Amino acid sequence: MMLEEFSLTDKVALIGGLGQSWQKEMAGYLAEAGAQVALFGQDEEQMSAGVKKAQELGKEAMAIPVDVTSYRQVEKMVQTVLKKWQTIDILVNSFNLPFAKPLVETGPEEWQKAMSANSTPVFICTRAVGKYMLERKEGKVVNITSGLGERGLPNGTVYCASKGAVVQFTRALALEWAQYNVQVNAIALGWMADTVETSKKEWQDSLTRLTPLKRLGQPDDLACALVYLASDASSFVTGSTFCLTGGLMAHG
Amino acid sequence: MLEKLSLDGRVAVVTGGGGGLGTAICLSLAKAGADIVVTDFRVEDGEKTAAKVVAAGRKAVLFPADITRSDQVNDMMTKAISQWGKVDILVNCAGIVRGEVPKPFWEMSDLEWHRGIDTNLSGAFYCSRIVAKHMVDRQYGKIINIASGFGMRGRRGSFMYNIAKAGVILLTMSLALTLAQYGVRVNAIAPGLFQTLGPKEGYDALAPFIPMRRAGQPSEIGALAVYLASDASAYATGEVFSIDGGALFSGYAPINYAPSIPLNE
Repeated sequence: MMLEEFSLTDKVALIGGLGQSWQKEMAGYLAEAGAQVALFGQDEEQMSAGVKKAQELGKEAMAIPVDVTSYRQVEKMVQTVLKKWQTIDILVNSFNLPFAKPLVETGPEEWQKAMSANSTPVFICTRAVGKYMLERKEGKVVNITSGLGERGLPNGTVYCASKGAVVQFTRALALEWAQYNVQVNAIALGWMADTVETSKKEWQDSLTRLTPLKRLGQPDDLACALVYLASDASSFVTGSTFCLTGGLMAHG
Repeated sequence: MLEKLSLDGRVAVVTGGGGGLGTAICLSLAKAGADIVVTDFRVEDGEKTAAKVVAAGRKAVLFPADITRSDQVNDMMTKAISQWGKVDILVNCAGIVRGEVPKPFWEMSDLEWHRGIDTNLSGAFYCSRIVAKHMVDRQYGKIINIASGFGMRGRRGSFMYNIAKAGVILLTMSLALTLAQYGVRVNAIAPGLFQTLGPKEGYDALAPFIPMRRAGQPSEIGALAVYLASDASAYATGEVFSIDGGALFSGYAPINYAPSIPLNE
């Protein structure tokens, strides 16, 4: 039996994505829990698959193409959603651009690129949606980040910094918005299946071996945690980072 | 997909099941479909919880035990395993919040030290030790340790509690790594302030120190226990899940006491 607190009946969820975002799977789970979903970003294949999935589950859904690094475009997108559904209860920020290079070979423009893909859209989308949540004194923001936002990796300095920014953004904003009943949390992922890092068999095998649970993360793992953090079930949880890394974070 | 959040057919042992958080956790696990073995040295409180579980439509049994005594814990767990043939979930919730008498550090007795450590840390160790083999044999199990935000931060005049809870967090991490290969997952919940004892008024004075400006209600912790006890959290192990209204990261700026500084007007 599912606890009624996990239900998202009549909620409206906005799911933003860039790069490998798992928008489709997250849309499916949120819709199954009862939410209407709008997917935004530039991965049209991912977004239309998410819309289809939600509609199959009997929920309303839409895809909105938008450049998530443009405040103006995101603000316009928010207006579109509000016009259609009058409210936004849940915002999911899932922006991920892998980057690995020795620091001394990394150009300033590459730092900028990593930050504007991994960190900046979290600010822009939360800023644009959050003001409506504050007015209503109700809302859930869930930022998808990486375990590397709290750990280091050789050649991953820039990526780690860009993901760590999301973790700290989550913690600090959670305090700022706590009194408005808007909860801000993060989900930090480990090595996930079907990503650039696990695209080669050899890398996939060594990352699987490295992970205490001896498997790579699946979109389902992420989506289940999202249902918890997006629903009333997490009414006293804010500023938390839920690490789903198969045990990697516990290692010395 | 969401059936992963169900606990249908599962058996859970909850220590401290007669307490405030323990009762709430028992009830949520039961509502998600689990049958419950309540354990507590407070027989009357444990019986009340068991009755609530039964009223919620699940089976419940009380096996009293003093968590600080490994012989009693072993006996309790052996009975628990044979009751319904298995234990899928262990929630280590027993502990004393207000075990510490305010007194100078240098006057604390050996007895006070051991009592605090034994109740809040040794109990979780004893229970995990006796159930782990059973879970490893079945290649299935979830252990959930109730830690505390104070297991990650210091507090003036508080020793055994904070130190034991830090130990619970490290027990979580090392046991998770030890049992990962056997299909057993171990996670911790780090609660902040919850209204577990007495009326709301007693907690109002502390509310300004919490970013959400209120204490948590025991019922709010149940869903997190269900998430961690279920297969929905299959990829989480050795992790600490905070549920504290934002308290853990407000240390730098206690809400209502930190000035709100507009650096760039």
